Amino acid sequence: MKKIIILLIMLSSIFAKAQDGLLSLLEVDNEPMYISSTFKGKKVVNGQSVEILSKGVLQFQIQHRFGPLLGQNYFYNLFGLDNSQIRLGFDYGIKDWMSVGVGRSSALKTIDASAKIRLKRQSKGSKEFPFTLVTNSAIYIKQYRWSETKEETFEVSNQLSFVHQLLIARKINRDLSVQISPTFVHYNLVNDTEKNDRISLGFGARQKLTNRISVNAEYFIQIKEKMNNDVLSFGFDIETGGHVFQLHLSNSPAMIEPAFIHETTGDWGQGDIYFGFNISRVFTIKEKN
Amino acid sequence: MVRQIISICLFLICFSVNAQQYLAKDGTISFFSKAPAEDISAINNKVSAVYDAKTKALAFQLNIIDFIFPKSLMQEHFNENYMESDIFPTSTFVGKVVSHKNGVANVEGKLTIHGEANTISVAGDLQVNDNVASISAVKFSVKLKDYKIKIPRIVMYNIAEEIEIKVNIEMKKQ
Repeated sequence: MKKIIILLIMLSSIFAKAQDGLLSLLEVDNEPMYISSTFKGKKVVNGQSVEILSKGVLQFQIQHRFGPLLGQNYFYNLFGLDNSQIRLGFDYGIKDWMSVGVGRSSALKTIDASAKIRLKRQSKGSKEFPFTLVTNSAIYIKQYRWSETKEETFEVSNQLSFVHQLLIARKINRDLSVQISPTFVHYNLVNDTEKNDRISLGFGARQKLTNRISVNAEYFIQIKEKMNNDVLSFGFDIETGGHVFQLHLSNSPAMIEPAFIHETTGDWGQGDIYFGFNISRVFTIKEKN
Repeated sequence: MVRQIISICLFLICFSVNAQQYLAKDGTISFFSKAPAEDISAINNKVSAVYDAKTKALAFQLNIIDFIFPKSLMQEHFNENYMESDIFPTSTFVGKVVSHKNGVANVEGKLTIHGEANTISVAGDLQVNDNVASISAVKFSVKLKDYKIKIPRIVMYNIAEEIEIKVNIEMKKQ
């Protein structure tokens, strides 16, 4: 009896192996699976997202912000469309984990240069990590005329300001991603009543509506040395292959970190709402393989 | 004594079953699609495969995220928008060699992509010797519609509705 049972077990094991066991032999290596596409754009709305351009990819970004949507003469100014300002920016992926960028904003006549470095990626599988961590650092210089440099009080360093951010994001599920961005801003030149160093905390989120459309929200709260209003923005991202279109509403018309985090005077409650959009187009300069 | 002999025989049978199997973990599957705007191609060099010479059964498995594209944005869209690799991380083929003459094999089986299984019939070269079983010159097409892979109208790349797939795998005897 015992023998028969052993025999049956052994035969059944052989049988099982021959029948459906082939796929089970092909256990795919349990490599860590990195989470990608936490956000569609390199920016949530105004602030940077944890997304970094891949190596060899150049992104050209055209950003527009318009005048107040409502308020005085809103119809005469076509809901602010008559007062547009623009920022043109180029970003390039040097490594898969590092990108650099330059840009210029028209209204503030400010040139910016920035670098984003990814420290850690959210992953699951054999190596699990709950967040994607990215640092963003930027330097801003207000453009000046040659004649201004002749003035006695002029110093180039007075035209500079800096931003350092740690971006911590988590893709909670395939549709919802959230981000927290502790931010440090330093102004080289401030008024007597203001402090040079400011600290703020940014919150961002995106919810996908379809595979190609998402809604985003972003809020920066000024923690130390609050001088102006906090900025609250809502965005709508549409992705069409190589382009991402981002439409948004915000109480700040500015496009660079020091300005929209710490120099926002607009108030949603008073109808100080600005419409704007970003269009980004990527070009693959260096192909893989 | 009899018991021992039976056991040994059974173990040998087990062994011989195993000995008929050829295995690979580094096979290549690539695909190509000619489109007016941009050609789309990708290659996966981490395909696992197993062939059982005794039962003539053949199986493949691959991770969708292991497909490498020349353009990284295409790769992102492939995973995120088309293949939905977070929901359907793998693609498999389970089938059988139905005929094998002059090195050319006809294989029939179930191909699963994007969670949808379809029966396909494909011909290609299959060479089996004592140490190696190699599959080459396999070329076939799949229709995206059959696997419920949707192409929206707004996308820029005009993606062809049929994708050409090539297989090249060398399996070693276990």
